[in-house]
Amino acid sequence: MKKLWLSLTVVIVGLILLTGCVSEQSAGSGDSGEGGGTGSEETSGNSEEGNSGESGSDGGGGVAVVPKLVGIPYFNASETGAEQAGEDLGVNVEYTGPTEADAAAQVKVIEDLISQGMDTIAVAPNDPASVEPVLKKAKEEGINVMDWDTPADKELVDLSIKQVDDEEFGRHMAEKLVEAMGTEEGKIAILTGGLSAANLNLWIDAAKSELEENYPDIEIVSDKIPTEEKQQVAYQKTLDLLKSYPELDGVLAVSTPAPLGAAQAVQEEGLQDEVSVVGSALPTDSEPFLEDGSLDTAVLWNPEKLGYLTVALGKMLAEGEMPEDGQEIENVGEITVKDDGKTVIMGPPQDYTKENASDFDF
Amino acid sequence: MNMKLSKESVLGLIALGIFVGMGLFTPGFFSSSNLNNMMFQLPEFGLIALGMMVVIVTGGIDLSITYIAAFSGVGAALMMTNGFGILPAIVVGILFALACGAFNGTVVSKIGVPPILVTLGTMVLFEGVILAITSGNAISGFPDAYGLIGNGYYMGIIPVSLLIFIFFIILTAVLLNKSTWGRRVYMYGSNDIATMFSGVKNSKVLMKVYLYASLLAAVSAIIMTSRYNSVKVDLGSSYLLQSVAAAVLGGTDIHGGYGKVMGTIYAVLIFQFIRNGLNLMDVHSSLVDVVIGAILIIVLTLNFFSDKFSRRKAESSSEKTA
Repeated sequence: MKKLWLSLTVVIVGLILLTGCVSEQSAGSGDSGEGGGTGSEETSGNSEEGNSGESGSDGGGGVAVVPKLVGIPYFNASETGAEQAGEDLGVNVEYTGPTEADAAAQVKVIEDLISQGMDTIAVAPNDPASVEPVLKKAKEEGINVMDWDTPADKELVDLSIKQVDDEEFGRHMAEKLVEAMGTEEGKIAILTGGLSAANLNLWIDAAKSELEENYPDIEIVSDKIPTEEKQQVAYQKTLDLLKSYPELDGVLAVSTPAPLGAAQAVQEEGLQDEVSVVGSALPTDSEPFLEDGSLDTAVLWNPEKLGYLTVALGKMLAEGEMPEDGQEIENVGEITVKDDGKTVIMGPPQDYTKENASDFDF
Repeated sequence: MNMKLSKESVLGLIALGIFVGMGLFTPGFFSSSNLNNMMFQLPEFGLIALGMMVVIVTGGIDLSITYIAAFSGVGAALMMTNGFGILPAIVVGILFALACGAFNGTVVSKIGVPPILVTLGTMVLFEGVILAITSGNAISGFPDAYGLIGNGYYMGIIPVSLLIFIFFIILTAVLLNKSTWGRRVYMYGSNDIATMFSGVKNSKVLMKVYLYASLLAAVSAIIMTSRYNSVKVDLGSSYLLQSVAAAVLGGTDIHGGYGKVMGTIYAVLIFQFIRNGLNLMDVHSSLVDVVIGAILIIVLTLNFFSDKFSRRKAESSSEKTA
């Protein structure tokens, strides 16, 4: 008992001392980081004066890229791209994120990055609302804030990088499906990850309008079918579909697990030649299905390039420049900047087919 | 023998050592903004770990604790987004959590299903309920004043959330060590049958344990939702296994009967220092998990052997006196 109270008091006193430290330090200037080591120890202190962006000097700062989580092929690929950009452009790149797609864990990572005094922080938020306070804090410390892969609050970020134009992506998928079916009339079904996923809905709407405008003889047999972002569910629902609509010609599957599940069902039923499947998926995942034609085309973007572009633009931002519409980014290509001046679109979607899928390692 | 440091104090020294060590080797660890960060990051996880510890002391485990937190956060968030004030929202959040806790408590104590099964079930159940309510979307947009709970300072220096955390540390310590209920919690944990035969109503004790754990989860949820200005089905889900790890690292016996508040707090501090320090050193996050896992195993092994050693010593000395 006594020991408990003793240790309790020790901790409280410790904490008070700790907090004492803080007030002292924030009254004075932040301590200066020592040299060597990681090359990112430019502590920003608590001063709220202007932009630390103009530094651009080698050694301090750099671009931090925060994925939704680390350790999955998609974000490993963007890490490769980001690191490559860091080497090519001579900028310090820190690619770090939570090991689970948990919003709370992601916020902690960003908070630690703020302490490190980065020039630019680029985030792919797990939950856009939950990173709002921490991004605000980063801005107060004079750090440039941008989002990539998934948009954060538009008011808050200096730059927002999108992989593709939603409209173009949806229309492209529809086109590819018609191409794979080899006929401009027939029956198709649409699988989606979740009914309320905003980006998926944009893609589906675009695909639908493409079909309506250019291929009026194609009939969509039912409302879009949710698959809970799970391959297993997509597989089950596709089996049901094949049973209810034996004359089905094509399946359009958006969200990355959905095409795999759909292809799995088609493969199992041996309907490779009768039913075409097109959807958004990563090449390594889709390769086994692409090989025997159960999946015809996987459409996505290149996450490696996305990582590269994020770092390239993060560096520009740190140097006080903004990207322009039609600007050529080395190793990425021509980018598009939307009318609001801060939404950047990386480029056209990329197709992964039987021929090229094995060239990629994500 | 009395001079020997308790397990908890050793852990406290380790925590202090890591703190100083990280400070020496990690640039920016002692910077004011980083110390500030850590003070804001501690409470939400610490509260959940405390709740978990109380349950583990009874020999149980609460796998649904982070989903109780998320559920309670959703309750509070729904109130606020529907125009209610902050106070009613907090009350509703806590009530939501207590309802979950009561459910766990009833099944565990009245029906007698092992806690790991019950809470595994309720984990999925609560997740499902939250998904049904929110359909997986985040609820956000709370009043600015609410944000002060997780982001504000008391008197300009101490984070409000840290004060709340300290309050609950003291409350938990007092309840466990001074109250009848607390004593019975330890008794039940070491031998539930003997406890029953000494006239204790086990089910009542257990019920209160699960209620108290869910209360702590609710407080943590309020801090989290306020800090992140949003709530989602997986709010704080990464804390679930970490909280078990922290409780066990803190010396709590996984079979029940032993566990100190301070031990858990030191363990939480150790996790915090390591995670933050390694992050600042640019260590890859998956490696951070490796380091934490390794430390956990080393400490547990050491604990096991020191327990064995001291037991043998005690046995041999009692033989001598006999």
